[in-house]
Amino acid sequence: MEQKKTKNRSPEASIFYTAGLIFLGIVVAAFIISLFWTPYSPDATDAASKLMAPCLEHPFGTDNFGRDVLSRVMSASKYTLLISGAGVGIALILGTITGVLAGYYGGIIDRGIMLFGNSIMCFPGILLALVAVAVFGPSVGNVIWALGLVFAPTFARVCRVGTMEIKELDYITHARIMGVKPLRIMALHVFPNLTSQLLPATVIGLANMTLFESGMSYLGLGVQPPDASFGKMLSDAQAYIRVAPWLVIFPALMLVFYILGLYFISEGLRVGLTKGGKR
Amino acid sequence: MKSKSGYIIGKIIELILTLLVVSLLVFIAFSVIPGDAARVMLGPNASDSQVELLRAELGLDKPLVSRYFSWLLGIFTFNPGVSYSYSIDVSELIAQRLPVTLGTSAIAMIMVIIVSYPLAILSARKPGRLGDQICSVIGHVLFAIPPYVASLLLILLASSVFSLLTVGNYVKPSDDFFGYIGCLLLPSFAIALPKIAMSFKFLRSSIIEQQSSDYVRTSKSHGLSDFKILIRHVLPNSNVSSITIISIIMSDILGGSLIVEQVFNLPGLGRLLLSAVQGRDFPLLSGIVFYIAFITVILYFISDIASSFADPRIRLK
Repeated sequence: MEQKKTKNRSPEASIFYTAGLIFLGIVVAAFIISLFWTPYSPDATDAASKLMAPCLEHPFGTDNFGRDVLSRVMSASKYTLLISGAGVGIALILGTITGVLAGYYGGIIDRGIMLFGNSIMCFPGILLALVAVAVFGPSVGNVIWALGLVFAPTFARVCRVGTMEIKELDYITHARIMGVKPLRIMALHVFPNLTSQLLPATVIGLANMTLFESGMSYLGLGVQPPDASFGKMLSDAQAYIRVAPWLVIFPALMLVFYILGLYFISEGLRVGLTKGGKR
Repeated sequence: MKSKSGYIIGKIIELILTLLVVSLLVFIAFSVIPGDAARVMLGPNASDSQVELLRAELGLDKPLVSRYFSWLLGIFTFNPGVSYSYSIDVSELIAQRLPVTLGTSAIAMIMVIIVSYPLAILSARKPGRLGDQICSVIGHVLFAIPPYVASLLLILLASSVFSLLTVGNYVKPSDDFFGYIGCLLLPSFAIALPKIAMSFKFLRSSIIEQQSSDYVRTSKSHGLSDFKILIRHVLPNSNVSSITIISIIMSDILGGSLIVEQVFNLPGLGRLLLSAVQGRDFPLLSGIVFYIAFITVILYFISDIASSFADPRIRLK
């Protein structure tokens, strides 16, 4: 069996991992805590405390309905994690299956799949997701499917190239001669060796998906009120930007932390997995 | 395909095929919109016969295949029909909004090139030193900021600190060209920021990689100055991947401008798209989506051809 590349625990990689995990950890922690407890209910309006600046009772301030921003931010993190996670899951499944099939069989199956995939990639991602959600209605489920569809071709590409490389290796040829069924070869031999290439793509995919999802929520096509999501909070906050900048700053910060965390981790992966990685 | 023209012809065929698939996707996607367009236009109180009349007028009662072909014909003659909600020609609507979207995309692209190239070159000269480290870290952070978040933050900054660059007032280029550019500056910058980071990072690693190669060492030992090596050898060699990255960035910029337009209240294609979405405006929607995809496909095509000129070995693959 081909040697799996072990993570190079160089000090540079560790810095990235640590930084990434810290940023990511903040968001994940907010999410986990929000499952059990938030300082106030995210939907609880309180007319008496509208638009309060950050203070002891409301560390992140309140919005125009009097809702506590900290609680809303914590509850919004679950959508970010959920949507990006599920979206990547769908993209992975769709992309890996099509990519491996295309790489393994080649020929017309390959051309067909790649033509289809390239056509999808011709639409700026946001456009496609917007249209899909517009056609089928703005709901969390639709957003997940739309994003999964948009990112699947990227994963398909990675898998296809990897499969084509691995296919030429001796032990695969031996397996084929022995009469091992193609499906078994693809699942048991080709796929496990793709994981090291899929990992960075997955992490970046998570980050990009969050970017898209928050953009769509900003436009009102994603998570619907009264549920909180970072994009929606930002669009609501825009009207009050001069009076209450904290409404913009805190959701933006959380969003950036999540994406930044993911990027740092992917950098760590890149440095760690390539010998003498250049930063 | 070893010949130049053979490669190009192959690419053109690919281009046409891709466009066909794209058009199919767009058409099918919009044919399945729930809700009958004619009924939506006339309102729930219209009688059935009125709806039927309108459907016949709009050509909605013809079979799907013939509708596809007549739509396709319309698209390619730049006449995709009349908008349902605005009752103007779709092409006219798009033409009105095009300057905004194209303007922001173009300015953003220029910003990306102007900022990232020099920075990347400077950073690559002294990798690992302080200046390089700072740039890299800032680059990473900028990468993570979505354009519309950046735009919000920029608005905050600009209005509170500077009170410059009025937000929300759009000036047509025919009225006042510099005013036009002025109000597009901030949005373009917001879009450009993450792409600058991306381009910088990529260029820098590409240049560093080149610098450790043999021919650079040889040229240096021959006494060729660093600058000349850079211009004549390193940059052209990184051209191929640069072209690919630039085309990806361009299509990202196009997509990013859609949202940023919302933030800055600019009357561009993005806003048009959204209103078309809400109004179930099939001709408008399909027209915009297709033309944007069309631009992207052409962009990729041009970049493929350009790459094959920059590095003829690609044609052999």
